[in-house]
Amino acid sequence: MKIPVQINEDSAEPLYRQVENQLRSLIIGGKLQEGTLLPSIREFAADLKCSVITIRRVYQDLENEGWLRTRQGTGTFVTKVEQGQLTQMSEENVRKILNEAIQKSTALGWDEQQLQQLFAELIHQHFTT
Amino acid sequence: MQEQSVISLHEVYKTRGQHTIGPINLELPQGYITVLVGENGAGKSTLLNLMMQTIYPDQGWMTWFGQPAKGELPLSIRQRIAYVSEHSSIEENRMTALDAAHFRSQWYPKWNQKRFEQMLTEFQVPSTTKLNKVSKGQRQKFELAAAIATSPDLLLMDEPSSGLDPFAWKDMIRTLHQLMDTDDLSILITTHRMEEVERLADYVMLMNDGMIYGIQEKDTLYQTWKEIWINAGVGDADVIHSLHECDGIVAWEAQSDLSVRVITTNAIELEEAAAENNIPIQTRGLEWEDLLYYWRQSAWQYKRDPSSMKK
Repeated sequence: MKIPVQINEDSAEPLYRQVENQLRSLIIGGKLQEGTLLPSIREFAADLKCSVITIRRVYQDLENEGWLRTRQGTGTFVTKVEQGQLTQMSEENVRKILNEAIQKSTALGWDEQQLQQLFAELIHQHFTT
Repeated sequence: MQEQSVISLHEVYKTRGQHTIGPINLELPQGYITVLVGENGAGKSTLLNLMMQTIYPDQGWMTWFGQPAKGELPLSIRQRIAYVSEHSSIEENRMTALDAAHFRSQWYPKWNQKRFEQMLTEFQVPSTTKLNKVSKGQRQKFELAAAIATSPDLLLMDEPSSGLDPFAWKDMIRTLHQLMDTDDLSILITTHRMEEVERLADYVMLMNDGMIYGIQEKDTLYQTWKEIWINAGVGDADVIHSLHECDGIVAWEAQSDLSVRVITTNAIELEEAAAENNIPIQTRGLEWEDLLYYWRQSAWQYKRDPSSMKK
C-alpha cells in the first residue's frame, strides 16, 4: 500500500521527523485506521527514496508513542487509539501549526491586531466560499 | 547503536601499475546497501577486487565477517560472497543460462535453483540459449539471478547497471529491494548513476584518488547538505558577511546581483543565524551530482590543507 507521505527536499528538518509528523497526522486524522498494515521498512524507504535507517527510526519512535505496533513475522500495524486521545492529539497538532504561523509572522514584523484581523478574514473566506 | 561490519580494511595499500590506493580504513555496514561513488580511476574496482582477494593488499590487514584472511579467500568465506561485475565471464559464453548455473551451483552449498529459475522467468531471460547470443540486458540479469541464487551474505556489484536499458534497470532495482526485504544480507554497489544513490543507498561512500573520503548515512548527508540563497539587498553587508563564519560552509558564491549562493553541510546553523539577524533566505535541496561534487571538493581542500577544515 502507498502511504501519502511527501518529503520536502528544500527543508533542513531531518527526514525522519518529516515522515514521523506526517504519519502521525495520518493516524490522528483517521486516514490510517486501526489495524492497517504498514509497508515493510525497506518497501517504505524505497517509496520515499530514503534509507531504511530513517524508516526504522520512524517506526520505532511511533511505536514508543503508542501509535504503531510491530508483530514479529507479520509487520507493523496501526494500533487502537481511544477517541478522547485522538481529539486531544488533534488539538495539540493544530496548536503547534498555529503557533508556528504566529512565530513566523511576528518575525516578519506583524503585531497582534494585524494577525487577528487577517486570521479572522481567512477563516471567514474559508468557511463561506 | 554500534553496527557490525561485514568487511573491514585497516591501513590497506595497493599499488597496481601507476595507481596506488590507500591508506584505506573502512567498515562495511552489515544489513545495508552501501553505494560507492567516485570518478573513473578513483580505485573503486581495485577496492572490490581486494574484497574478493582477486588481488592482495601490499600493506595493512582485512577481515571478512570478522575473520582475518591472507591470500586467497578460504572457501567458507568465498561461498558467502557473490560478485556481479560489469563484464561477464568469457568462459560462460558458450553455455546456456541453465548450464552456467549448474556449473556455478557446485561451488555454493546454499544454491537455490528454484529461486534462480523463478528469476529467469520473471526477467524473461531465455534459459536454453547460449549466453553470448542473449542481449546485454538479459546477460546482466542472468548474472544478477545467479548471484542471488547463491544466497549470499554479501553481494558486491561493480557498475552492474552500465549498459542496461531502463526496463532491465528497473527490474534490477526492484529485485534488490525485494532481496533486502526477505534476506539478511549486505550489498556494496559501485555506480555513476545518481538514481542508484537515490533509490538504493542506505550509506554513501565517496572514493577519490585512491582514498575513501567518507561513508555517511544517505539521509543525514542529504538533510545536512543544502543550497541556501541569501537574497540581494536584504541586509547590512557586514551582517551578511558574518554568516560566512557559520560552521559547515563549503562554498560561498556571491552573484553579480549581490545575492549569495551558499553550499553548507550544516543548513540548520545557517538558517538559525539568518533568522536571528532577520535575513530572509531560501533553502533548497541539492541535486546528488552537486552534493557529491562539493563533497569531493571539500575533501580535496582538506587534503591540501587539513587546517582549512573547521571543526
